[in-house]
Amino acid sequence: MLALGVGAIYNAANPLGIPWLPSSGNRVGIPRAFETRLPQIDAAQAQTLYETGDALFVDSRDAPDYAEDHIPDAINLPMRKWGKLWPKVESQLPRDRTLILYCYGAHCGLSTRQGKALLEEGYDKVLVLDYGWETWTKHGYPTVKNPAGGKG
Amino acid sequence: MRRSMQVIRQVLTHPLFLRATGIVVGGVFVYASLDKIARPDRFADIVHDYQMLPLLFINAFALAMPWTEITTGAALILGVWRRGAGLLAMALTVAFLVAIAQAEIRGLDIECGCFDVSGMSSTEASWDLFLRDIPLLLGAALVWRKG
Repeated sequence: MLALGVGAIYNAANPLGIPWLPSSGNRVGIPRAFETRLPQIDAAQAQTLYETGDALFVDSRDAPDYAEDHIPDAINLPMRKWGKLWPKVESQLPRDRTLILYCYGAHCGLSTRQGKALLEEGYDKVLVLDYGWETWTKHGYPTVKNPAGGKG
Repeated sequence: MRRSMQVIRQVLTHPLFLRATGIVVGGVFVYASLDKIARPDRFADIVHDYQMLPLLFINAFALAMPWTEITTGAALILGVWRRGAGLLAMALTVAFLVAIAQAEIRGLDIECGCFDVSGMSSTEASWDLFLRDIPLLLGAALVWRKG
């Protein structure tokens, strides 16, 4: 109990501390400092940004899933490979455009995690598409399908 | 055969051996807790990946678990509350084994989150890792039984 008390105090003082319960939108692992800096948007908002061409979509899913089907012009940065991938793509990812991150669907977590990583790297225009790929396709918004499929 | 079993038994129950085992197992637990304590957000991400807990409990678990680990480890190193700490170390190790095994069985391609939660040098949850945790479990069991 004492250890948990110390832990609670440490977490309250830690700039990267997290709330004990999920953040709004049922998101887990979001430091309190990042909660307002990593907004979620819905499919309609994402579609509007897509049409204006103001935003760049970042697909956080695994490469085979991206290869199979993805949002047009989205770039694939698989979050599961982030540690190895980031040093290679760091110089190519624009800092002046709004980035809309998406992954598989409800609470898949990869896009939110990527958002945190990008905020830590100094990107400040980062949005997460709530329900990701699932909601985008459910609304019938455009996708780029690879006829050969990505998973072989 | 009987004689060699006796020798092994004597070694395993020797106070110095038990003390050394406690220090090693405790050291592993303390080391494993440090990165998780520093970055509870990343540890919460990894707990999320294991898909074992409802979302409601993930943050609380990610905050409480590393402090349980460090307390258990410190007790084993210092040699205080040895049986309780040994039992807790066993329980934690069994929980790790179950988490890794279910991830492997379900085919989840995820980071282990054992020692490093940054994702830069961490290992993937795998059967190799499962086997590597067995000596930890045996060490904790020894401290619990004979400590």
